Amino acid sequence: MIVTRRHLPRRTFLKGLGTLIALPMLDSMVPAFGAATGSGKAPTRLAFVYVPNGVIMKDWTPEAAGKDFEFSRILKPLEPFRDDLSVLSGLAHRNANALGDGPGDHARAGACFLTGVHPKKTAGADITVGISADQIAARAVASETRLPSIELGCEDSRTVGNCDSGYSCAYTNSISWRGPASPMPPEVNPRAAFERLFGTTDFSLDPETRDRRAQYRRSILDMVRDDTQKLIGTLGATDRRKVDEYLYAIREIERRIESAEKDNREVTPPLEKPAGIPIAFTDYLKLMYDLQVVAFQADLTRVSTLMVGREGSVRVYPEIGVPDPHHPLTHHRGNPDWIEKVAMINGLHAELFAYFVGKLKSTADGDGTLLDHSMVVYGSAIADGNRHTHQDLPVILAGRGGDGFKPGRHIVYPQHTPMTNLYLTLLDRMGIRPETIGDSTGQLEHLTEL
Amino acid sequence: MRRLIVLILLIGLFPLIYLAFASTAPQAQKSETDAAFEKSIQPFFSDYCYECHNEKLKKGNLNLETFQSAASLLQDRDTWEKVLEKLHRGEMPPKEAPRPDQSEVEPVTRWIESEFDRADRLAGPDPGRVTARRLNRAEYNNTVRDLLGVSVRPADDFPQDDSGYGFDNIGDVLSLSPVLMEKYLAAAEKVARTALYGPELLKPTLVRLRTAARRDLPNSPLSDYDASGLSLPNSLHVTCRFPVDGEHLFKAVLNGHRPRGSEPARLAFWIDARQVQAIEVDLADFEGQTREFRTNINAGEHLVSFSFVRFYDGLPSTYGGPNPSSRPIPPPPDFSSFKPPENATQQQLEEYKKKQEALKTRSAQKEPVDARVNYVEIGGPFKQARGPSLDSLKKIYTCGHVDGVHQRGCDRKIVAGLAHRAFRRPVTSQEVERLTGLISMAQKRGDSFEEGICLALQAMLVSPHFLFRIENRGKATGLQEAHLISQHELAARLSYFLWSSMPDEELLRCADQQILRKPDILAAQVRRMLKDSKSHALIENFGGQWLELRRLEIVKPDPKRFPEFDEYLRQLMRRETEMFFEAIVREDRSILDFIDAKYTFLNDRLAQHYKIPAVTGAEFRKVDLNGTPRGGILTQASILTVSSYATRTSPVLRGRWILENILNAPPPPPPAAGVPALNEAAVGVSASMRQQLEQHRTNPACASCHARMDTLGFALENYNAIGAWRTEDGKFPVEASGSLPDGRSFRGLDDLKAILKHDRDAFAECLTQKLLTYSLGRGIERYDRRTVKTIASSLAANEYRFSSLVLEIANSVPFQMRRGDLPK
Repeated sequence: MIVTRRHLPRRTFLKGLGTLIALPMLDSMVPAFGAATGSGKAPTRLAFVYVPNGVIMKDWTPEAAGKDFEFSRILKPLEPFRDDLSVLSGLAHRNANALGDGPGDHARAGACFLTGVHPKKTAGADITVGISADQIAARAVASETRLPSIELGCEDSRTVGNCDSGYSCAYTNSISWRGPASPMPPEVNPRAAFERLFGTTDFSLDPETRDRRAQYRRSILDMVRDDTQKLIGTLGATDRRKVDEYLYAIREIERRIESAEKDNREVTPPLEKPAGIPIAFTDYLKLMYDLQVVAFQADLTRVSTLMVGREGSVRVYPEIGVPDPHHPLTHHRGNPDWIEKVAMINGLHAELFAYFVGKLKSTADGDGTLLDHSMVVYGSAIADGNRHTHQDLPVILAGRGGDGFKPGRHIVYPQHTPMTNLYLTLLDRMGIRPETIGDSTGQLEHLTEL
Repeated sequence: MRRLIVLILLIGLFPLIYLAFASTAPQAQKSETDAAFEKSIQPFFSDYCYECHNEKLKKGNLNLETFQSAASLLQDRDTWEKVLEKLHRGEMPPKEAPRPDQSEVEPVTRWIESEFDRADRLAGPDPGRVTARRLNRAEYNNTVRDLLGVSVRPADDFPQDDSGYGFDNIGDVLSLSPVLMEKYLAAAEKVARTALYGPELLKPTLVRLRTAARRDLPNSPLSDYDASGLSLPNSLHVTCRFPVDGEHLFKAVLNGHRPRGSEPARLAFWIDARQVQAIEVDLADFEGQTREFRTNINAGEHLVSFSFVRFYDGLPSTYGGPNPSSRPIPPPPDFSSFKPPENATQQQLEEYKKKQEALKTRSAQKEPVDARVNYVEIGGPFKQARGPSLDSLKKIYTCGHVDGVHQRGCDRKIVAGLAHRAFRRPVTSQEVERLTGLISMAQKRGDSFEEGICLALQAMLVSPHFLFRIENRGKATGLQEAHLISQHELAARLSYFLWSSMPDEELLRCADQQILRKPDILAAQVRRMLKDSKSHALIENFGGQWLELRRLEIVKPDPKRFPEFDEYLRQLMRRETEMFFEAIVREDRSILDFIDAKYTFLNDRLAQHYKIPAVTGAEFRKVDLNGTPRGGILTQASILTVSSYATRTSPVLRGRWILENILNAPPPPPPAAGVPALNEAAVGVSASMRQQLEQHRTNPACASCHARMDTLGFALENYNAIGAWRTEDGKFPVEASGSLPDGRSFRGLDDLKAILKHDRDAFAECLTQKLLTYSLGRGIERYDRRTVKTIASSLAANEYRFSSLVLEIANSVPFQMRRGDLPK
């Protein structure tokens, strides 16, 4: 609902209402901005973008494999970045299948996408899936940046009831999992995401008061940490799990305070603080992409996830002529009208992803662009939304990951190649080598060769 | 007290009862049950199941051959609960295999269930395990409000709480991420500073808001129309969140016209559908005109509206509107004085003539009546309240605060009092010492006493004892035997159940004095709490999730098909159901009113939507529904809208809604593949929805569930996708009749409601189960079934009064007791 919010003295409204004014990204930011590591090699960044409810695969998969493929209808908006991305076909998430657990493919898809683990079917008690690829990376590079990772989303999870067939909403609300029972819920409010990146320090206070308050905060953290440790001895297993989460979070904050002290760069936000959630979906998603670009650009974090929507999303897209909710449409059962509408939604998502890729490409970073130094995975853990298939998934890998990948191709892998093999390969580029992720069987081939 | 004794007796007697059965009864019992098992149960499994689930194949990792006695079933209860479920749903044996007839399946499932039931009765009460519950967003906001008297709502910025079992207050599901912890720290600082020093002074900002979709006004004036103007398309409604209390500026930016010679228009400004101010606007051309209003507004979300009242009154008489203007009709413009220049060319003359003609025709036409509020700018806060509120000071400084002078020992008294309330239990002297330590630390560094209190408060607000409700801290929470929770834990369970907030003074005092468990005191407290306005939280949070009302905020009915649906109507729909629920709670009415009641709460706009005459004015009031096709939540626009698609009604969704939320029989989810499509474009055009769905049901795989689900939904087909009455679906007449799988048939919703009222036990159990889930913050387990049944069946004795349901829950074993994890 909120259109624009600015301080009264500077009220210059833009015409064209119903949209949040595009926030200008200042490309010529402070030189200190960017490569925090100084003269060294630009760091590698890892981003995941999730789209829900599968896609119309016949309009997604390019016909030819290899270098000279033609961009399909849905992928068309990405054509300007032909040399910067690859389309990967044939990858699968075996563990999103029922495997005896009955219905609930949407919940399983969301929970499995980055973990590769088959989530335990429960509406609440004993939520269990695995640690997600982004969080494995975040943990490994945590000491390098102020934030180990950021999790963003474009959909408020005000859904009620059990989200999908006896699965708790936790499975569909987060794709990022710090541990098997600890989801990292996405930030859906651009303003709050901005504050997470740039802090809420009150600079109107004098430095001395600020310092003193920072010290007080530490005393408080010390105190509650000690109290909690005492408390933990008296707890049963499940209560303990909850309080452990609390302790972990406290330590995480202490770590963050420490690294903020080491890294005393004054980061000037290159965009104005957003007022809230823009009305128009396209503005909303673009703003979330902007925030990710800024976070990478300023090296505030190197790992991000973005949920364009949650699995089972019922968002309507009247702006492109689709007043019907997304999820019911995907159960089109062959109805050409519905298929067309889903393809239009898929196309819009791809177009907005192209905006993100374009932003990364136009942002200088070290000796190249941010896109050169990024690995961006775009996709879903459902291929055909009508039948809930979890193989031959729609996947794009954008960026060069330093100078490792050779993008510009449509690579067709053998059917049922684990998606998690891709993640192993991406983490390897960052120097992180977990033995397995979910159902992974080894690294993915062909990404670095031509 | 009686209940308590029964409880203790039950627990105490448990070993005795068990022994009694173990020593005397078994001989006879054993042979009887085992005989039945061997005679009629085992053969069934041998005939239909052993083929796959045997020692060798163990399909699905299940070997049913190992179960050779009735007792063996009880030993692996989890497995057999699954077997029962598969049999009930007809999922096993699989389609390929020979399948038993329903008449064969039923005696088997019934026998197993009765065995389980008997075992449960013998096993003694199991109160279940409640996991430490983190405060959810609503609870956090309410708790800091009641703890410190502040109106800031920091939790509005917290990440979403995940939900499970249909609710977002489930201990197992509520997680705590580092992001949330950061927000807790920031919120603690903000809340403590606001309480001690007053709200943070915000720089005024300006927001511009407009409605997403705009509708056109009718071409000619209406004679019968909404006098408040709120439902006319030229009004404007926006919901806006105000971060703090304070004066705000509301600037309406207008456009459109009102004919010359009209009486002045009257622009009204409304907050939450209550008129705040109105001013005259004496204009013909409204384009770009602005009018400003200023008013104080409380922090939180509000519906801000502008409208023209009596919009079609006072127009020139030629317009045919009601109460025409007494002003003289202005003469048509005189063009005769305009002359072309003398040296004009022939071409210029021609053009001049044309223009002259055009002007004349235009002035002869009626001027448009289309003034509207185009958008609104909201600025503020101005004149923000400064300094702490008296309420906050009273809640904090329990030791006197004249001129900020504090006596020795006051630090302890203040901190102990605050911690007692913040942690919802007595605090130890060590705890108090550690907190006062923070005060001395601050003072040593040159900060004031208040600053020290601020620090101690922050420490309390981020403590796990505040953020979580951890029960039975005194002993170990892992204690496995069932035991009564403490008086303070009971107080907190009650207050978070009914208020989504902390216990108040009175409740805390009852717990301090250890008298809360006394039946008359508990009953009096429950009644008091239900009457308190804080119980609105129960309607908002429990009602919002049980009835799926929260979804109303995100539904977007297709504006092409439902142009009359706007932000205003959306808010009114929610208000009706909330007021209806509130009446049941506050007036302690029968829960059967949910199914059918001859009253509801409407204002003019909603009454117009329902085609109920003689309701004038924007304020809500109780309306008698006799003689109308409305009554009960099933006929309320809110429920009818959330159970529809954006473009049309869905008997399937509505049927599911009734099964899940009224009858406690949620249907299994549909198979993902092989479901035939409805031809959307044909609905209402070449075939009615009903015909389409009936065709759909010819598929036997679908029929088993849809026969019941769709039929229930058909009863509501007279209400369209936003709840308006209709008799036709496209070009087909609506047929709101059907027969249920059990043979009972109905014509229209009234018949169905009669059936639902007849099946009141099902509804009573449904509501009991939902309310128990919500009150405990955990899912309902097998051992709770008896509790649910007992509570539900006790309601009739008290005319199904809402308070009796709440009281029964408050007195139930799972609410009064707990246990830790059982060993795996």
